[in-house]
Amino acid sequence: MFSGLRERLLAARNRLTGSIGAAAASSAPVEKPAGEIPAQTVAPKNETPSLAEKVKILIVDRELVVSEKDVSDALSDLEMTLLESDVALPVTDAIIANVRSGLVGKHRKIGESVDDLVVGALKSALLNVLGKGFDLPAYIKAHERPVKILFTGVNGTGKTTTVAKIGAYLKKQGFSVVIGAGDTYRAGAIEQIGVHAERLGIKIIEHQSGADPSAVLFDTVQYAIAHKTDVVLADTAGRFHTKANLMSQLDKIRRVMKPDLIIYVDEAVAGNDAVVRAAEFDKTVGADAIVLTKADMDSRGGAAISIAHTIGKPLLFLGTGQAYEDIVPFEPGAVVEELLGCDA
Amino acid sequence: MMDTLSNSLKDALKKLAGKAVVDRAAVDELVKNLQRALLSADVNVKLVMELSKAIRTRSLDEELPKNTNVRDHVLRIVYQELVRLVYATADVKLEPQVILMAGLQGSGKTTTTAKIARYFQKKGMKVGVICADTFRPGAYDQLSTLCAKINVPCFGDPKATDARKIVKDGLAAIKEQEIIIVDTQGRHALEPELIQEIIDLNVITKANHRWLVIDAALGQQASEQARRFHEAIGIDGVIITKMDGTAKGGGALSAVAETKSGIVFIGAGETIENLERFDANGFISRLLGMGDLQALYEKAQEAQMESDIDMEAMMKGKFTLRDMYKQLEALNKMGPLKQIMNMLPMGNMQLPEGVYDVTSTKMVRYRIIMDSMNAKELDDPGIINSSRMQRIARGAGGSPEEVRELLKYYKMMHKTLKGLRGATSGKFNMKRLMKRFSGMQ
Repeated sequence: MFSGLRERLLAARNRLTGSIGAAAASSAPVEKPAGEIPAQTVAPKNETPSLAEKVKILIVDRELVVSEKDVSDALSDLEMTLLESDVALPVTDAIIANVRSGLVGKHRKIGESVDDLVVGALKSALLNVLGKGFDLPAYIKAHERPVKILFTGVNGTGKTTTVAKIGAYLKKQGFSVVIGAGDTYRAGAIEQIGVHAERLGIKIIEHQSGADPSAVLFDTVQYAIAHKTDVVLADTAGRFHTKANLMSQLDKIRRVMKPDLIIYVDEAVAGNDAVVRAAEFDKTVGADAIVLTKADMDSRGGAAISIAHTIGKPLLFLGTGQAYEDIVPFEPGAVVEELLGCDA
Repeated sequence: MMDTLSNSLKDALKKLAGKAVVDRAAVDELVKNLQRALLSADVNVKLVMELSKAIRTRSLDEELPKNTNVRDHVLRIVYQELVRLVYATADVKLEPQVILMAGLQGSGKTTTTAKIARYFQKKGMKVGVICADTFRPGAYDQLSTLCAKINVPCFGDPKATDARKIVKDGLAAIKEQEIIIVDTQGRHALEPELIQEIIDLNVITKANHRWLVIDAALGQQASEQARRFHEAIGIDGVIITKMDGTAKGGGALSAVAETKSGIVFIGAGETIENLERFDANGFISRLLGMGDLQALYEKAQEAQMESDIDMEAMMKGKFTLRDMYKQLEALNKMGPLKQIMNMLPMGNMQLPEGVYDVTSTKMVRYRIIMDSMNAKELDDPGIINSSRMQRIARGAGGSPEEVRELLKYYKMMHKTLKGLRGATSGKFNMKRLMKRFSGMQ
């Protein structure tokens, strides 16, 4: 996961480092002008040692002020990199602005490497965007049981599979779980979640197809209260944020079951629309955390950055495959560390 | 967000409108805005770069055709290049065939399979469906429920685990059907076993068509995925699903470019009937967030009419009832004013609300009233007093009230034009607008 983005970021970073280094070179008349900085396609591994050498040679005893001009080319490269990685346009703009303000006008001390400066700016920009993680088991322990979790999202992002995975995850952590089959619309949805629940040995509350999802989920909550179950996982039908009636149905579900957490599920491969719909869902029914599915399809992870930036909510899990255990808690610090890790 | 994008695109076009020669800076700005619009519609970054390069070179190099203004010239290039991107619409033949569905998890293959079955059924073909998704729980229930609704035989076994065997059995079981659609499990390009499975299914079914189902929201990943699918089984058609949301479907364009195939269908809605054949114009308009470009061209062409409105005099403030008469006549042929304004890539310029208020029936009445005036009155409406008003009203079969209303409208138009006159040199070129309305190119 994210390895693609990582590679690209590394290339962009090298480019940034390069142009600042080049600026240093031109301000140091003794040295020969810096050669053409290797293109993005060059494997970062080959580049790093030569760059390090170059930096050593180029940095004369002077303080360097990074100017807008030094970084503008490299920043537009970074912009393309982010766009190619599915980071939505407005989010890309925000990150670029962030990095620019972090770099331009900075005084670089002698000895402080260009690399550190660039990494610092990129890191803080990304951390800014990704926010803090979310510890679900800790949340459940700290709250009154049953903890009711409602899953929302557009069609086909993997809500039902995610419910099953989180069910399995929580069960492993020692919590008791009940699933509410709130997708009464899509053909085969109740059967789908039913099979998952059976395989996992999790109790499921279901009505027949076409029933009022609020009623199903209300019953699920009642069951959990009566049986002192720790967690209620409420599946819902996928819906588009443009369908007012379906969104108000979701609003009704929320009023009826009073969820403690609303988890918005979207897929890692979604492009710019991820931002639009996340914002709409957040506006109409709210969202407390995000689960990003199908992260194994895509090594870029731009949607994570886009969505997190747009609604400012933490990422809870990444879905990384078709098996129940293919779910990873998301730790932004670790991810950013990995993205910008020095040794590729 | 999209609105601001399409507005900046319109503004960029607007800047071109007043130019007599192609202006490099204006073209650059247009291309930049176009890039942003396409990128936020999820079109592949490399495709966008190629496209914008082509548009820039063509706009600057190609000679401006006669009787065409710069904006139309550039707009046409943009339009042509975009149409080139979507290739041709893939053909759907009404003949016995086997169709293999492929796509990522959750892209909507099963729903689309049922929709396509319905499409062929409505065309009078005998359709059968095989559910080869042996992985996802409920997949068979989903497909068989949908098929039962439209009385299409659906072969499958929820307990089976071997997709290859199911397909073999299924082909034998429903071989009397003319069209057989094979729904498969969702898979992505990084799963070698599943890719091998679909290669095998393709061999077993000897499928005539292999259609790739693409979620409208799919981002930059679309290229890569489509390429791998294409390598595996040779995709010959793309279906875009979930177009009822806000996603623009730019990812599908990448898929089309990778597979060198066309877009077959568009799915927009949850019911089984919500499937449309692909329409390039509508798709491009949506991609750019602009009104229907082609419809505008057609409308302007239909409204071929004499163009003898004296623009110069009008801009000097000499706007008589005669001018208004011609203007109303022109408008009448082009449809409601507001609709036209929305179609024009003019940016978000505001006209006073009152201008829009004149409905088409009223316009007809106005013209009849003006027919009842004499030349002097048409040239100088100021001389119309109450006795003239009486006469005009009687001649037009109306009341003096109506005549008064017409004069009021005239005064408003006059005032509006005067107001805009000051702004001509600035943001908005009124002359161009009036020309547009009167059908002059």
